[in-house]
This record gives sequence, C-alpha cells and structure tokens, in this order.
Amino acid sequence: MDDGITVTGLTKRYGPVTAVDGLTFTVAPGQVTGFLGPNGAGKTTTLRMLLGLVAPTAGRALIGGRRYADLREPRRSVGAVLEATGFHPGRTGRDHLRVIAAAGGLPADGIAAVLDRVGLAAAAGRRVRGYSLGMRQRLGLAAALLGDPRALILDEPANGLDPAGMAELRDLLRGLAADGRTVLMSSHLLSEVAQTVDRVIIVADGTLRFAGPLGELTGGRGETLEAAFLRLTSPRPRQPGAVAPAGH
Amino acid sequence: MHSLIGAEALKLRTVRGPWLVLAAGPPLVIAGISGLVISGGDLRDPATQAKALSHVGLTAVFALAFGILAVAGEYRHKTITDTYLSTPARGRVIAAKLAVYPLFAAVATLVTALAALGVTAAWWSARGVPFAWGDPAMWATAGGGIAENAVFAALGVGVGALVRNLAAAIAAALAWIALIEGIVGQLVGGLARWLPFYAGQALGAGGKSMLPGALLPRWGAALVLVAYTAAFAVAAAATSVRRDVA
Repeated sequence: MDDGITVTGLTKRYGPVTAVDGLTFTVAPGQVTGFLGPNGAGKTTTLRMLLGLVAPTAGRALIGGRRYADLREPRRSVGAVLEATGFHPGRTGRDHLRVIAAAGGLPADGIAAVLDRVGLAAAAGRRVRGYSLGMRQRLGLAAALLGDPRALILDEPANGLDPAGMAELRDLLRGLAADGRTVLMSSHLLSEVAQTVDRVIIVADGTLRFAGPLGELTGGRGETLEAAFLRLTSPRPRQPGAVAPAGH
Repeated sequence: MHSLIGAEALKLRTVRGPWLVLAAGPPLVIAGISGLVISGGDLRDPATQAKALSHVGLTAVFALAFGILAVAGEYRHKTITDTYLSTPARGRVIAAKLAVYPLFAAVATLVTALAALGVTAAWWSARGVPFAWGDPAMWATAGGGIAENAVFAALGVGVGALVRNLAAAIAAALAWIALIEGIVGQLVGGLARWLPFYAGQALGAGGKSMLPGALLPRWGAALVLVAYTAAFAVAAAATSVRRDVA
C-alpha cells in the first residue's frame, strides 16, 4: 500500500534464539494500531527491523512499500520514539532537536512549534541531564514529530508519563491518525491501550497471535482486553507463521 | 553530505566533553617546555627551539581520544540510534565524522602550538637568549605537530567506530601507545618506525624525537598514518553498515 506498514514473514534469529518468527501483518493509515505482547515477545526487535536498526534474518519490513534504508528522507517519512533512544546529557533539549534537524535536512524553524506541541518550550534551554523521565519521553516525541512524518512508530511511549501526559499523548496520537497518518504503538499498559487504539496486533514468542479491530478482540467472548490478551499470549506449542483464528 | 558535515559540527558545538579532552593540550606543552628549560636544556643550541615545539606532537594522544569519542561516545550516550535513524547510510555518517573531527582537532592544536610558541619565546627571553622567530625547523615541527594531531583524530574515529565500547577503545589506545607499541617496537627492530605512534613522532617531532632508532621522513610518516587511518575507516564502515544497533 502507498502509506502504511507491511511486515511479511519477518524473522530474526540471534544464534539459537528466535526472537521473531515469520511475522506477517499490516498496519493501515488513518487509525491507531496497538502492538501488544508480553516481555520478550519480539515487539522491540520487530520495530527495530522496521527502522533499519536491526537486519532481519528473513522476510521484509516495509514502510510505505519501502525498506527504511531506501527512504529518501527518512525523518519525513517515519517518526520513531524508542526506549533506547538516548540523549547526550550535556546537550540542551533544543540543541538535541537542532542536531536532528541538521542531520535530517529538516528546517530549523519547525523546532519551536514541536517543542510547544509536546509542552517542552520552557525546558528546552536546559541540559537533558536535568530532565525527568517524562520530559525525556516528550523530547523523544518532539524529535519524532520534527519531520512531520507520514508514519509514527512508538515503543512504549507512555512510559514515565503522568496521567495528564498520557491523556495528551492519547489526543496527539488520535489526532495524527485522524490526519491520515499511520500510527503503530507498542505498549504494556492495556488500560491505556484500550482508550487509544482502534486495532490491535498481539505477538508472543515472536509469533502473531491476533490481528484485528479492538472491538473484535473483546466483543467476541465479552472478555476484557486483559483477559483476551492473557488467553492469547499464554505459552503454547510453536507454529511458525501462524495466522490468528480471528481474521484480519 | 553537506548537511551531515554540518550536523557533526553542530554535535561538537553543543557539548563540552570533547573539548575538555583537547583542552589538556596547552597545559601539557607549557609544562613540557618549561621542564625542558628548567632541566638544563641548552637554549643556545639552535635545535632546541624545534625540540620545544615538538611537545605539540605529543598531545596527539588527546586527539586520538577526541576522535574515539566520535562514534564510541555516541554508543555510550545511545545517541547512535538517532544518528542512524537520521542517516541509514551509515558509511556516510562515518565519512562526515572523518571530515569534521580532524579539522576541529587541527584548530585546537593550532591553539596549542601558539601557546607553545609563546611559552618558548618567553623562556628564551627570560634566559636572555635571542629567539629565532624564523627558524625553519621549529615551524616545520609546529606544523608537523598539528598534522599529527589531525591524523590521530581521524585514526580515533576509525578505532571508536570499530570497537564501539568507549572505555575499551580508550584503554586499548592508551595501552597500545604506552606499552604495546614499545614492546612490538623492540621485537621488530628497524621496522618499528612503521608503527603508528613512531610514525606520529616522525611527523610531529621530525628526525629527532624521544624514541630510539631511525624514524621515517615527515612526508613518509604522514602517508603511513593516512594508510593506517584508511584501513581503520574502511574496516569500521564495513562492519558498521551490517551491525545491529541494539
């Protein structure tokens, strides 16, 4: 598809350990898609393969039909918020964004706007070593939004945010999706996910367990999201490349 | 590429740490030159002016550490993720760092060389010895010292990109310079002058330096160092491109 994310037969092996096993799913634009799974399910590895940080052992991970490495202006196509993205402690928040703008060929005058949007305008002149966890998350979000990207990939973006911050993030992501962008967000906070996403993709042990609308997951048996999640991700015999029983 | 070079320069201009490493240069040369004079150096010997300025070349170990910070520092602070997200063509990132770090090291060494010149002239004046401002050996040594620092910064970029772990890269570099190259030098005898630090001294101190044995001529030493840098840079680029960024 023109926009959107496509993962096909994606596999990553680290020696004897298979972190991601024949994963296949699509993420459409215009909605917020939650990417859920227990610890060690392969979520972060999958997102890193989408972003070209990790090379797949097999399969493909495409954004707008292209590998990340083939995107002409990656920061304008994809904004990424990852747990491991770090900041130089001695650099100010504003300078961090100036560096990203410079490296990505983005105009520097977008920086003030994006700082306002995430609520960091006042703290932008301080060095990152003085930032709280919530402020670092906001800075990461600001960096992701700087290029006004068509797709957003977020790994546990609500981590460290207080309730007000989570509500703002939810509104931001829903607004971006309503704009027609593709939003893929991994999370552990099922209660937050339930309020934010339209569609869920659930993985465990590197394999797909469910892909479909949120309503379909919970409505079928009248379960809560938590109950459905635990049922789908309980340990089971491995079937590589399995497609979930509830359709796409 | 132009925007990448600008970004690398901006990265250096927005932090202080790397500059603190280079700031060790001027105090070192001031102490070294003062030591040379106080310990009884013969100021009337025309070669002593060049010998004083040869301290500039010694600061190349700081330039090496500065260069190592280029990539290994990014891994340490985990900013390497953002760097490779901005520029998935990782070889170009390393190329941009190879353009910027030696240039900044050269400018910083220019400051060190001016400090060395000033201190040397001051000591000569204090001892009542006329200072030969036009001494060609002295200027060649000063220039060689700046070149030595620039090349070691470039070498550091390659080493840091290959090793990635900052502490390990710095420790290995220091161990090589302080111990291993000396030991290897004794084992290979006359071939020692082809080793990196030996070559560096040849560039920065000229034919006479503090190392035993014959050294390469300046231009030969420069070529040898550029070859070492190219080897590390190619190895670093080749491994970086395929490496998983955890």
